[in-house]
Amino acid sequence: MMTCKEILESLSSYVDADLKKEIVVEMERHIGKCSECRAEFDTLTMTLKLYKHVDDTPVPSDCHDRLIKVLKLEKMKAKPTDASSDGTPEV
Amino acid sequence: MTQDVKSLSDEKLVELAQADDERAFEELVGRYETKVYSLSIKMLRNPQDAEDVLQDTFLRAYRGLKSFKGNSTFSTWIYRITANSALMKLRKKQLPTVSIEDADERDAPINIPDWAPGPVEQLLNQETREAMQDAIESLPAEFGQVFVLRDVEGLSNADVAEILDLSVAAVKSRLHRARLKVRNRLMHFFNDSRSRGPMGARP
Repeated sequence: MMTCKEILESLSSYVDADLKKEIVVEMERHIGKCSECRAEFDTLTMTLKLYKHVDDTPVPSDCHDRLIKVLKLEKMKAKPTDASSDGTPEV
Repeated sequence: MTQDVKSLSDEKLVELAQADDERAFEELVGRYETKVYSLSIKMLRNPQDAEDVLQDTFLRAYRGLKSFKGNSTFSTWIYRITANSALMKLRKKQLPTVSIEDADERDAPINIPDWAPGPVEQLLNQETREAMQDAIESLPAEFGQVFVLRDVEGLSNADVAEILDLSVAAVKSRLHRARLKVRNRLMHFFNDSRSRGPMGARP
């Protein structure tokens, strides 16, 4: 039998469907009966739903223009030599 | 070369950009600048800092493109550069880092509402949005980054691990703590929503 503390510790994995089936079954049984754990689950789920609804922040047009300008300058600088060692991760 | 770059995959654009096709790189910038800026704003909150990170990210991408070998996707790579750049910015500002153990409020009594999930739109007003951003800011930086990449940007645990150079287990552990802490910060909105009744209507 999982305790409320154990349920809480597993909630995040539960939300991500990252648990073994038998643990999921036990958690669902517990959450179905325990109002506190149910509230923990509901509020966590709602929190994550809210963040999923956050829109991207558009790049302001002047900021975009400055980016393009900076990249153009870089291209002009890069033409004669090829610089590629500035700590950018190699993947 | 008259190919329409808009119809090409990231992979193909990278290949062309590596062969000095400037339009291909410009298309990649166009595709990802909003994502990069948006992630930077969420991590740093300050538009000037976000702009610095935006420029830094694409400069690094431009300079490092030839060393990009395609072992991960371009999007993971660009996120990784963004996260690294934002992280450096945060460190320079020497924002206070609080141990998650110290910052953890889980042992404090929580007034848990008997609350059932409702429409998200009901809760998502300006005040909530600000509180959501504050909640992220209240997290120690390492936890905030995991939360933003995973739960705001919707990346997988594996991608977040790669971007932040962490193990997947470390991502999951940080994410769990971050989620509970963020949820605790927003709890009063859920209480308020419940007391206002359906659709947030005040009596």
